[in-house]
Amino acid sequence: MIKKVILIVMLIAIIFIFSNVALKSVENIDSDSKDYYLTNTYNDTGSKNIVTGIYLDYRLFDSIFEASILIISVSGIIYMSKKDDEVL
Amino acid sequence: MKTSDILICISRLLFPFILLYGFYIIINGHLTPGGGFQGGAILATAILISYFIYPEKIRDLNLLIKLEKYVFMVILIIASISLFTKGEIFTSFISIEKSNSFKSLFLIILNLFIGIKVSTGLILIFSTFIEEGK
Repeated sequence: MIKKVILIVMLIAIIFIFSNVALKSVENIDSDSKDYYLTNTYNDTGSKNIVTGIYLDYRLFDSIFEASILIISVSGIIYMSKKDDEVL
Repeated sequence: MKTSDILICISRLLFPFILLYGFYIIINGHLTPGGGFQGGAILATAILISYFIYPEKIRDLNLLIKLEKYVFMVILIIASISLFTKGEIFTSFISIEKSNSFKSLFLIILNLFIGIKVSTGLILIFSTFIEEGK
């Protein structure tokens, strides 16, 4: 009973905080990085598609780890699906 | 697994076009919407269709596992070349004063390798599931 009451109070608090943040953040949106990418991406990276320019040049560090997520999931699936006497 | 003849016939017709469309999405990733990840997923669907066409064919998964690992190492090496040319790691290795069409060469190479890596990864995931279900 006490656990349920605490859970409901926590949920109400989370809803209150998130709605507050979402309503107030409209005034504080900053467009500096958007303007930078719109004006400079083609001259910096040679890419007309700004998304490709960001994920292969400005943020290549994140993109490498995004590619490594797939290799980790593949090795996990192969490890779980192989039979005992079979070595892949 | 029993599939109808109409599905097999249409799959044979569609198979080269799906491969072509996947490579088109990958190569033109810096000009149009798309890129390595999306084109690799389309290539993986083309190989999934080949399971309809030849259901009894035995496929060697060890080759694909090796290919994915080596291609990931190649991506790491290409991304690290900029440490020697520019002094910063994980950016384009071509100098920023070059022309725009020459700078897009880096994007094409990296998109191609990421596409190969994603497609082999997705092929491995569903072919291990299919081999398990047999």
